[in-house]
Amino acid sequence: MSAAPDSGYEVVIGLEVHAQLRTASKLFSPAPVTYGAPPNHSVHPICLALPGVLPVLNRRAVDLAIRAGLATHGEVRRHSVFARKNYFYPDLPKGYQISQYEEPVIVGGWLDIDVEEGGEPRTLRVRLTRIHMEEDAGKSIHDPAIAGDGTQVDLNRAGVPLLEIVSEPDLRSPAEAVAYLRTLRRVLRYIDASDADMERGHFRCDVNVSLRPRGSGALGTRTEIKNLNSFRSVEGALRAEIARQTGILEDGGDVVQATMAFDPDSGRTRVLRLKENADDYRYFPDPDLVPLVLSEEQIEAVSASLPELADARCARYQADYGLSESDARALTASRALAEFFEAAVKASATRDPAKPIANWILRDVQRVLKERELEIEDTALAPASLAALVDEVEAGRTTARSASGLVAELVERGGDPVAWIRERGLEAVSDAGALEAAVEAVILEHAADVERVRAGEQKVLNFLMGQVMKRTGGKANPQVVRQLLAARIGVP
Amino acid sequence: MEALLSLAAARTALDEGGLTSAELVRASLERAQALEPALHAFVRMRGEAALREAQEADARRNRGEPRSLLDGVPVAVKDNLVRSGETTTCASRILDDFVSPYDATAISRLAASGAIVVGATNLDEFAMGSSTENSVFGPTRNPWDRSRTPGGSSGGSAAAVAAGIVPIAFGSDTGGSIRQPASFCGVVGVKPTYGRVSRWGLVAYASSLDQIGVFAHSATDAAAALERICGHDPRDSTSLPEPAPQLMSALTGDVSGLVIGLPREYFDAAGAEPGVLEAVRAAVAELEAAGAKLREVSLPHTPFAVAAYYLIATAEASSNLARYDGVRYGHRAAGATSLKDLYLRTRSEGFGAEVKRRIVLGTYVLSAGYYDAYYRKAQQVRTLLRRDFEQAFAACDVIATPTCPEVAFALGARADDPVRMYLGDVYTVSANLAGLPGVSLPCGRHEGLPVGLQLLAPILDEATLLRVADAYQRRTTHHLARPELA
Repeated sequence: MSAAPDSGYEVVIGLEVHAQLRTASKLFSPAPVTYGAPPNHSVHPICLALPGVLPVLNRRAVDLAIRAGLATHGEVRRHSVFARKNYFYPDLPKGYQISQYEEPVIVGGWLDIDVEEGGEPRTLRVRLTRIHMEEDAGKSIHDPAIAGDGTQVDLNRAGVPLLEIVSEPDLRSPAEAVAYLRTLRRVLRYIDASDADMERGHFRCDVNVSLRPRGSGALGTRTEIKNLNSFRSVEGALRAEIARQTGILEDGGDVVQATMAFDPDSGRTRVLRLKENADDYRYFPDPDLVPLVLSEEQIEAVSASLPELADARCARYQADYGLSESDARALTASRALAEFFEAAVKASATRDPAKPIANWILRDVQRVLKERELEIEDTALAPASLAALVDEVEAGRTTARSASGLVAELVERGGDPVAWIRERGLEAVSDAGALEAAVEAVILEHAADVERVRAGEQKVLNFLMGQVMKRTGGKANPQVVRQLLAARIGVP
Repeated sequence: MEALLSLAAARTALDEGGLTSAELVRASLERAQALEPALHAFVRMRGEAALREAQEADARRNRGEPRSLLDGVPVAVKDNLVRSGETTTCASRILDDFVSPYDATAISRLAASGAIVVGATNLDEFAMGSSTENSVFGPTRNPWDRSRTPGGSSGGSAAAVAAGIVPIAFGSDTGGSIRQPASFCGVVGVKPTYGRVSRWGLVAYASSLDQIGVFAHSATDAAAALERICGHDPRDSTSLPEPAPQLMSALTGDVSGLVIGLPREYFDAAGAEPGVLEAVRAAVAELEAAGAKLREVSLPHTPFAVAAYYLIATAEASSNLARYDGVRYGHRAAGATSLKDLYLRTRSEGFGAEVKRRIVLGTYVLSAGYYDAYYRKAQQVRTLLRRDFEQAFAACDVIATPTCPEVAFALGARADDPVRMYLGDVYTVSANLAGLPGVSLPCGRHEGLPVGLQLLAPILDEATLLRVADAYQRRTTHHLARPELA
């Protein structure tokens, strides 16, 4: 739903995301990128802006930026320039941030996002304005427990490489904004450009939002809400700001261009500074760095190293494995999951393993992962183990129900499911003699249902099968049970 | 001491005269101390460390393992190059007792050459100035006339060489800060091609213009010293990939057939003092007599160079000096009541008037609404100046000009007239804007004071530049003149 559906205003949202690039060292210094190190222990004279130091560009960060550009269909520019953004703040050691301004490394591009709003799923193409590289600032600590009545500065984060990804104002609701962010995060993780760990601040967002009368082509005056670091806060901040702007406009007022902050506790936005008080950043090309010139070969090499992207993989799963679009999309949601799926298919001895393996991953495995809040790559579950388990089920050597009971344990500690099935007596009971007593008992107990089967109600046969399975503790081979029941009732 | 009067003399004394490096360094330290009250060329001496290093150099020489022509030779370094474990002041209060944890590349290359740094020389604060008067430690004086300036900003290094304290000294040149004091002090001063010497550890004034260079008495001495500090450094992204040039072998003394370009804009009657022009014309005639050809060339955008220089240099400086905020090191004002107050007080107390002037100017140049009119336009002028030189060098091998329009002026004479001070850089700033190598060498006297001949060469052609300078010195004696000092 749009947050102002009955107000007569259309919401226009554009997003600026800061994603931390996944590099071992900082953007312009050899200091390691760490998390949780003691304050000011992950630094180098360059991060401290000592007199005489000079920046040297981290080439790995450049490759990751190119990856992000390629994965979002942008143009990788052969010539881009680093610029200084000048402002004074204690956690900005040089008194300027090295960023890209007039000439970013990536321009254009787009992301297709899936939106489910009002019950109807649809795909929306969101255009990207640009992607550029920049360095992070340090951290000012005002906590009296640490800093007393002053402020302390931790420069571990100063110089950490960031990618700023700027979207066009193509989003029309908080839900679309969140869907865009989820998609972008997934893409960046997919290509290993960023861990995009939101808890650790690897993926932060500034949102620009304005309202305009429905049907109007012109953009209204926008406000920018800074530094949102969870999907929930993006959604909350947008809702609050849309409500605030709607109120102003409905009262006949004018929205004033401003930078805002969102307080999740009160659920309100507040003005940080008005546009007329905005800093003049005095951008100019950084004379300590030469323009970044990328060769065709370098871009080709990065392109060749890119993993198959989610969209291509999704299409391939549908074409090659006959999976449904929703299953294919779910399996390609993360690269680790897709790679797990493909490895399991390869390891399986079943004739057409893709569909059953997909089903097992998307139902049983995903359920356990969700319960335990794990990602597939964080578990002990090996693709070959899942394949072996599925093979056992498909060959009728155990039942789906028995196999299902092993998944949680496999996820938690791994192991050989085939051995477990033997050791724990979970083999499917296919011996007709052993099953006949159960079949007989069920027929006696459910005489009315038996009559309905004879009258042609096939579905009821499934019910009766279920009853036999129950009596055998889920160990009966379903095909054998079905044959026995059908023969005993006298239906084909 | 004779051995302090040139690198060649020092080399002879050490290798053949039985003099030890320890004795030579001690003599250098003693002369520095004796002349310090009169000249104030140094801000700090490295007495004990230098003597210890000299003993190591003596041991190397005794083992027959000298590292280079500079091994065991006392040198001086402008106090804007950092050295691990020692203070670097940039002649500013804002750096207070800042001690660097790392070495500048030029410093570590000097150490690898075996040169002994006896002390850090005085400069205009953060290398901003043309007189070495803008130093928190007070001005350096010209060895030829102590009532006059040695020039700047590397005035301390120029004076130390001119006064025979060290045969070699190092400085930095952003708009003429090596060539102009070399001219005023009657010594050789070389600014190499931008990117030849790593800027890693050189405290930045204007990053796109700053270049480390050398002072000596002769082109050969300068060549020997330059060879040791040039060459690519991965820690400086603007460092050129070329290896250090072979300069000594290029000094053949032969200039026959070389074309010397004389830019008409630099010999304009309205520009330099007649006595300066006369000395420079005589020097050029000497080169012609040695077989070089003279050709008039034009550098039509020269009249815009000083303005472009002061726009670009101050813009970069305003950003480069933002780090001196009292938060992490250096001076921090006491009693600040807020963050803004801390910044205001720290920077007001820490910087001198000229540095403040340039920070304010540079901040203005980059500010919204003025960027296009000033900074961008200045960069366009810079491109045009580069093209001027490219066209001129299509018709000549080196360009000869006066280094300065005048000889050393009196201390205090320009203190209240910064624009007039800036205009004195008219002949030197173009080489920085275009990134060219340049040298100033003594070519006579005017009013009893040294006059400098400036030679400029195409990018990376220090070899031809110094070949011409050396050829001139082989035929003349101006570089052998020494000031009379007590």
